[in-house]
Amino acid sequence: MMKMKPEIEKTVRIMEVCGTHTQAIAKSGIRYLLPKHVKLLSGPGCPVCVTHESYIDGAIDLLSYQNVILATFGDMLKVKGTYASLSEIKRKDTIFTVYSPEDAITLARKYPHKTVVFLAVGFETTAPIIGATIKNVFEQGPENLLFLTALKRMEPILRFILENEENRIDGLICPGHVASVLGGDAFRFVTEEFNLPAVVCGFQGEDMKKGVYSLLDQIEGKQPVTFLNLYPNCVRNQGNPLAKEFINEVYETEDGFWRGIGEVGDSALVLKEKYQRLDAKKRFPISEKITLKPSVCQCSEIILGRKAPYECSQFGVNCTPENPLGPCMISSEGACSAHYKYGRVIF
Amino acid sequence: MINKIQLYHGDGGVKTNELIREIFLKSYGEVGKVSLSDSFVFTTKASKLAYTTDSFVVQPLFFRGGDIGKLAICGTLNDLATAGAKPLYISAGFIIEEGFDIEALRQIACSMGEVCKRNNVRIVTGDTKVVEKGSADGIFINTSGIGVVSEQYFPCEIEPGDEIIITGTIAEHGTAILLDRYDLAIETSIKSDCCALSHLISDLERILPYIKLMKDPTRGGVATVLNEIAEFAGFNVELLENNIPIHPQVKAVNEILGIDPLYLACEGRMLLVAKKGYGSEILQLLQDFCGCREAQMIGCFTSDRQKLVYMQTKIGGKRVLPSLESQTVPRIC
Repeated sequence: MMKMKPEIEKTVRIMEVCGTHTQAIAKSGIRYLLPKHVKLLSGPGCPVCVTHESYIDGAIDLLSYQNVILATFGDMLKVKGTYASLSEIKRKDTIFTVYSPEDAITLARKYPHKTVVFLAVGFETTAPIIGATIKNVFEQGPENLLFLTALKRMEPILRFILENEENRIDGLICPGHVASVLGGDAFRFVTEEFNLPAVVCGFQGEDMKKGVYSLLDQIEGKQPVTFLNLYPNCVRNQGNPLAKEFINEVYETEDGFWRGIGEVGDSALVLKEKYQRLDAKKRFPISEKITLKPSVCQCSEIILGRKAPYECSQFGVNCTPENPLGPCMISSEGACSAHYKYGRVIF
Repeated sequence: MINKIQLYHGDGGVKTNELIREIFLKSYGEVGKVSLSDSFVFTTKASKLAYTTDSFVVQPLFFRGGDIGKLAICGTLNDLATAGAKPLYISAGFIIEEGFDIEALRQIACSMGEVCKRNNVRIVTGDTKVVEKGSADGIFINTSGIGVVSEQYFPCEIEPGDEIIITGTIAEHGTAILLDRYDLAIETSIKSDCCALSHLISDLERILPYIKLMKDPTRGGVATVLNEIAEFAGFNVELLENNIPIHPQVKAVNEILGIDPLYLACEGRMLLVAKKGYGSEILQLLQDFCGCREAQMIGCFTSDRQKLVYMQTKIGGKRVLPSLESQTVPRIC
C-alpha cells in the first residue's frame, strides 16, 4: 500500500477521546500509513485513566466499614489512590469484579447482610446504564446496594483542552460511544465555536482511516472545515433519547476532579437529591481530601495530548503493563497500554 | 461408597485401592492398566522416544467444550505431537482436595479415558493424594507421556521465506474459560477447542520432512508463541491479519471485553513452520485429510533479524505483536 504523501510540513495533531478509538488506532497500525508529520494523540477518553486518586482513597475507606463490599469494573483494581490500589488492599470476598452494573444487583441479592457499593465510573457511555440501574434499585431495591460515583462528562473536558492553546489540537475524532448516546450534534461546538475539523467515526480500522483522512483534507484546506458524522448507522444527530432520559432523570452536574488535570467545571455527573439515599458518600463518611502530589508519572501530559506515550521518560522503562506507574498503562484502553502492546516499534 | 473424597482416600490403604478400582479403572475402561507394581515396565523397538510432563490447575474444572481431565490428556498428547511423537503411555497423578465430589471425579476420569481410547494410548501408572480442605482448589492433575518420534520428523533451522501455518481457528479455549470464569451473560456457541492432535503425526507423515517446527499455542496465545519461535529462529515473523482464522463470535466477545484474541490460548491447535514453498501443499493436506478445515497459512519469516513479530493489518498498516507481559486470564490449563 502506498503511504500518503505529505502536503504540508507543519506537525498536524489529531486527537481522539475514546478508549476504544485508542485501541483501534494501535491495533489497526494506521500510524504506519500516515506521513511522519501527522501525530495521533489520545485524549482523556479512558475512564480509568482520568479517575482521581481521591476516589480510590474513598473506595478504600469504604472497606473499613463493617460489612461493606465493593463491586467494580476490573480495570479499576490496579489504579493507585494516594497510597494504594484496590488490588493491593484486597482481602478475600471484599472486592468483586463485575461486567455491568446489573451484576451488582445480583451480588447484593447474594449477600443480603452486607452493603454492596458499586464503583460507578465512566463517561456518558456507562452513565445511562448505571442510571437505569440506580432508578431500578431506588424503586425496587435491593436496599443494600449503594453507588460511589465518579462519572464524567465529555463536553467540559473537551472545552478545557481546546481552550488551552498550549494543547495545539488541529483536528478531533469525536468520542464514538459518547456520541451514540448524546448525538452527533453534541459535538458540533468543536467546529462551530473553535473552528476545528471534527468527525464522528466508527471503530474498525477502515472507519478510523476514513476519519483521519477526512480530517487531514480539512486541515490541509482541501475541504472546508465542517463537522462530519461518518458513523450514521450508530450515531444519530439527536443521540439515543432513552439513554439521555436516564441521564437527565438520575444525575445533575457538578465540578469534577480529573487525575493529573485537577478541577474542571461542571464535568461530573452526581446523583440528584431524589436519589441520594443510594449515594455511598452520603451513607458513609469517607475521605475526599484532594492531594495533588508531585509525581514522575506523566499521564496527565499524555491525556492532554501534550506528549505521546513514547515521549514519556518512564514509558517502557519504569512503567510497563506488568508494573504500571500511571493509569494510562493500567487500563487496556489507556493510551500507554495500547501503545505498548501494539505500537512500540515505529516502522 | 460415600459421595465426597475423604482424607483416607489418599492414604494408600484399602480405601485408596477402592477408589482406584471403582473410579479410575472403571472410567478409564480398556485404556487403564491394573498393576501391582509401582512402576510400569515396557520394551520398545523404537530408536527415538519423546517424554513430557505437564500439570493442570484450570478453573473452572468443567468448562464449555471440556474439563480438566480432557485437558490433562490432550495437553500431554499435544506436547508429544510437537516433538513429532505418536503417544504410547501416559501417567496420571491426582492431588484432590478433601470433600471433592466423587461423581465429578468420575466424570473427569471418564473424559481422560475417552481421549486415550480415541488416540490409542494407555494410562499405565498413576498416583492419588488427598489434601486437607483448603489446601488445594478442588483437583490438580499431573500427566506425563511417552511417545515414539516419527523417523520422518527432524526439526531444522528456520530460514527467511519459511511459511507459518495454524491448524484452525484461534483463541477458543481462552475465550471459553473467560466466559465461564466470569459467568458472562453472553449467549454464544463458543466452546474450548481442547482436543488431541496426535493424529497429525500420522496424517502428515509423508510431508513431515518439510515441517521444520511444531508448537502448540497454549499460554500466551499465537502472538506469544510466535515470539518464542522468532527468538529461536533469529528472524522476524510477518503475519497477515486477513489470513488469521477466528470464529466471528470469538472475535465479537473479545471485542466486547477489550481483549486481543492473539494472546488467548488454544488447546487444540498447532503452529507449523513449513519449509519455504511447501506451505500450500501442507495446508491442502491439513484441510482435506486431517479434519483441519479452518487451517490457514498466516505468515512467514522475513530476512530481518530483529526477531520481531509484526502484522500487516487489514487496512494495510503494521503493528508489532510483543510477547504477553501480564496474564489476561490466569489458570487456563
